[in-house]
Amino acid sequence: MANGPRGRGSVPRRLGPLDAAAEVLGRAAGAAVRKAGLGAGHSLPGAIVERLVPGYLARRAATLPDGTVAVSGTNGKTTTASMLRTILREAGVPTVGNESGANLSRGVVSALVAMPRGTRLGVFEVDEAVLARHAAELAPRVVVLTNIFRDQLDRFAETEMVAGLFRRTLAQVPGVLVVANADDPLLWRAVEEFDPLGFGVAPLPGAGPGGADAEPEACPRCGRVPVYAGRTMAHLGRASCTACGWRSPEPAVVAEVLPGGGIDRLELALPGGRVVLPVGGVHNAYNAAAAVAAAGALGVGAAEAVRGLAAFRPRFGRAEALTLGGRPAWVFLMKNPAGAGVVVREVAADPRVGAVVLAVSDQVSDGRDISWIWDADFERLAAAGLPVVPAGRRAADVAVRLRYAGAEPAPAEEDPAAALRAALARCPAGKGIAVLATYTAMLDVRHAITRTRRDRMLDVRAGGAGDAGERNR
Amino acid sequence: MNADLVLVHLYPDLLRTYGDRGNVLALVRRAEWRGFRVEVAPVSRGERVPPGAGIVLLGGGTDRDQEILGEDLVGRREELDAAATGGAVVVGICGGYQLLGRRYVAADGSAIDGLGLLDVVTEAAAGRMVGNVHARAWLDGRDFDLVGFENHGGRTRLGPAARPLASVPRGQGNNGLDGTEGAVQGAVLGTYLHGPVLPANPDFADALLARALARRLGGEPLAPLGDRLEHEALARARRRGR
Repeated sequence: MANGPRGRGSVPRRLGPLDAAAEVLGRAAGAAVRKAGLGAGHSLPGAIVERLVPGYLARRAATLPDGTVAVSGTNGKTTTASMLRTILREAGVPTVGNESGANLSRGVVSALVAMPRGTRLGVFEVDEAVLARHAAELAPRVVVLTNIFRDQLDRFAETEMVAGLFRRTLAQVPGVLVVANADDPLLWRAVEEFDPLGFGVAPLPGAGPGGADAEPEACPRCGRVPVYAGRTMAHLGRASCTACGWRSPEPAVVAEVLPGGGIDRLELALPGGRVVLPVGGVHNAYNAAAAVAAAGALGVGAAEAVRGLAAFRPRFGRAEALTLGGRPAWVFLMKNPAGAGVVVREVAADPRVGAVVLAVSDQVSDGRDISWIWDADFERLAAAGLPVVPAGRRAADVAVRLRYAGAEPAPAEEDPAAALRAALARCPAGKGIAVLATYTAMLDVRHAITRTRRDRMLDVRAGGAGDAGERNR
Repeated sequence: MNADLVLVHLYPDLLRTYGDRGNVLALVRRAEWRGFRVEVAPVSRGERVPPGAGIVLLGGGTDRDQEILGEDLVGRREELDAAATGGAVVVGICGGYQLLGRRYVAADGSAIDGLGLLDVVTEAAAGRMVGNVHARAWLDGRDFDLVGFENHGGRTRLGPAARPLASVPRGQGNNGLDGTEGAVQGAVLGTYLHGPVLPANPDFADALLARALARRLGGEPLAPLGDRLEHEALARARRRGR
């Protein structure tokens, strides 16, 4: 990889003295925040530097010898970026990235401010809404596009708008290599003119036609009803249109999901070999395929990429394994019907799960319109007969949703600590708790877990790296 | 099966952007819990609305979805008119509400004909109206709370043949100017509210069911349900800020 082709073919620039001085200040501020126990300091340094030296992001990104990669799309940005960084790290390429879903410009700038010497390449997850601006500043050599689902409709309004945004963004970055989900017809159609490297997942035998969680199904070119030769989740799969002849491409990198998965286990066959990942669900097969394809675009061979991927560990609230009252607790971020559906499928099928906390909040970073919970397949939770505790700011609405799904929900508990206690009380001995939560609800739940540990009300140990609340929207 | 209520979900493959499945589920469950047999009939492009429909539901879609529907939708005017005359309640939500109207005028000034079942005209304008809504509805001699979430760029104005479904103490409603939300014209209703609107508003769902089941009920009111959870969620929604 170190000998791989360089993105822009230009000599990396050096940082000016003003920028360097601003970095020192930013780093000091971040250290102060951490020392004061106010957070992980993932945002403040960025805020300071952005204010002091406008244009810093572009100048700093240009000093990275191997350039930058931008990862965008509705679902899977954080995990895909993390998997790619793991592959690169194992391949001996030091990278910088914005962690914990801090994907507004502040998070990207903070990451650049804090990056150690010798960093060669930047892997940034970038929110769809700010991709156009960041693409101009980061001048990425590779852009990875994961998928387009309806998500936060109060912000983006419509999936077609996101597709258009991607197309216009790529047109602004000459020579960029595009890695895109070949199984997402709307996304692929929007970017196919840029000759992307496609990734996909082999169709799953059990995956039926799109349920309420799928996007409206219309040929992305002519609008007629498409025919699916195979599906994986929601509207993802191999589609073709008998009317106009448009069809999904054959992806260059295909992940095949092998039997024996669970909420925290996924075995895949990839072009470079087999790998077992400590996360479950077909959505993570997409993330893995995207990371391997992106690594390939950066010059890492398939076999080396798959070997590196084996070192991947889940991040902040993405199938993160914690311990709660001496029992396992798995925390899943839930953002939209399609993502929730995949998690529900794994949770309902895993015999280790004894109770569920379903936490929905409605802050800006959660999506203020929670109508989508009616499109998510919570019927499957009801059918599994698991005790479910409605939680989050919209716990009362979750309770209603569960009642109409055919479940008899436990009393709604807006307070996350109370919800966790209620779930523990309902969880049979020897089993664990699955927490499905929207973004701020997940932060609240994690916060409750550490606080209750301090109070010694529950014996809770975080298995992953601690983090105090970065907002990614 | 000999259903007490045939619930037609129009274009479920396209107009389902904002949890519209929840509206179907609310009607089905609330009828079933009272012992009525319900048949849900999804009707998509090229398919006919079955006879005997009690409720026809149109959800919301993206601009492109609504464009794709174009011809198929216009061809349904008589069919839906006949359904409404035959006793069906026709309900449009968000995009579906706009489509039930006479006309939709896009930002570039081009006009698309709607179904003309509601005497309303919608014009696209800059600045979407987004946020929580608390409205007060009046329907069939009863008034009740109507809560939900709105997210629309179109401004809808009512003509003389339609009356507003609700007034909006909090939120923008039809156009952000006249304090009204939604429209009612005989058997045809429209609203901008998501939530989805029917699970969030049990009284509204029951008002629609009472209309659709009028013949079966023979003048009796709908039996009360143990729906404490729904009313608790509604009480919280009433207190929620914009």
